[in-house]
Amino acid sequence: MLGNGLVDKTALLLKKTLDLRMQNQQVIAGNVANAQTPGYKAQRLEFDKALRQAVDGQGHDVSVTHPNHISSHGGAVARVEATVSEVKGTGALGDGNTVSVDQEMILLAQNQLMYEASAQLLSKKMSIIKYVVQGN
Amino acid sequence: MGIFTSLNISASALQAQRTRLDTISSNMANAETTRTPQGGPYQRKMVVFESQQMSFADHLSSRSNRAISGVRVSNIAVDNREPKLVYDPQHPDADDRGYVAMPDIDILKETTDMMMATRAYEANITTIKSAKRMALKALEIGK
Repeated sequence: MLGNGLVDKTALLLKKTLDLRMQNQQVIAGNVANAQTPGYKAQRLEFDKALRQAVDGQGHDVSVTHPNHISSHGGAVARVEATVSEVKGTGALGDGNTVSVDQEMILLAQNQLMYEASAQLLSKKMSIIKYVVQGN
Repeated sequence: MGIFTSLNISASALQAQRTRLDTISSNMANAETTRTPQGGPYQRKMVVFESQQMSFADHLSSRSNRAISGVRVSNIAVDNREPKLVYDPQHPDADDRGYVAMPDIDILKETTDMMMATRAYEANITTIKSAKRMALKALEIGK
């Protein structure tokens, strides 16, 4: 019952989202830290597309022998790799730095909210399981 | 990797900005210093920031981690501007014509630099707070 109960697709997706959001937090921290380093290019972590593809493209997992099976390691979703891109341009001061602290702060807040939302969802999922297990 | 990478990055920035603030303080304090151990008036100092790869383990652990970098002060450069000459014949360091070589420090520029350092410091504090909140939230899963 592993597939339908404790660790289902949603839980694996949420787990992956938490991982990716944490990684994104690091990228943003790096940008803010280098906000005044000449020549530094702001980095952006992109995973939306890859994650969407992994979620939509169900059953393309080599380790799964039946379309209704879900591998315990998460399959396609778990293998999603985020890509890092650079923000091009010369920057406002002309020193080649493309970090905008305001924008980073917005991305930071957004990322944090999404992380907390995912954590909350996962928490709720756990409490459902707990409820069932305890029987009260 | 994980929760502490983010904190380490922000900590490196806090340290770099603090060094910058120290340098600015030194410039402000010595705006009218005419005697230094090297001889001559004080010369303005400035920090040079350089992005810094995090630890080797972080570097190996993931491909995208290579892009993430902290910051460090690579060196404290000396501004080699000519000292400004101020006419003050009574000054013990005045030359034959009565001019004293004073450090050419623009207090306004130092002040704006100081504000920028402070703001950058605060931005990094915000990042640390955010990372901490995320970590705490993760600990709540399953409660």
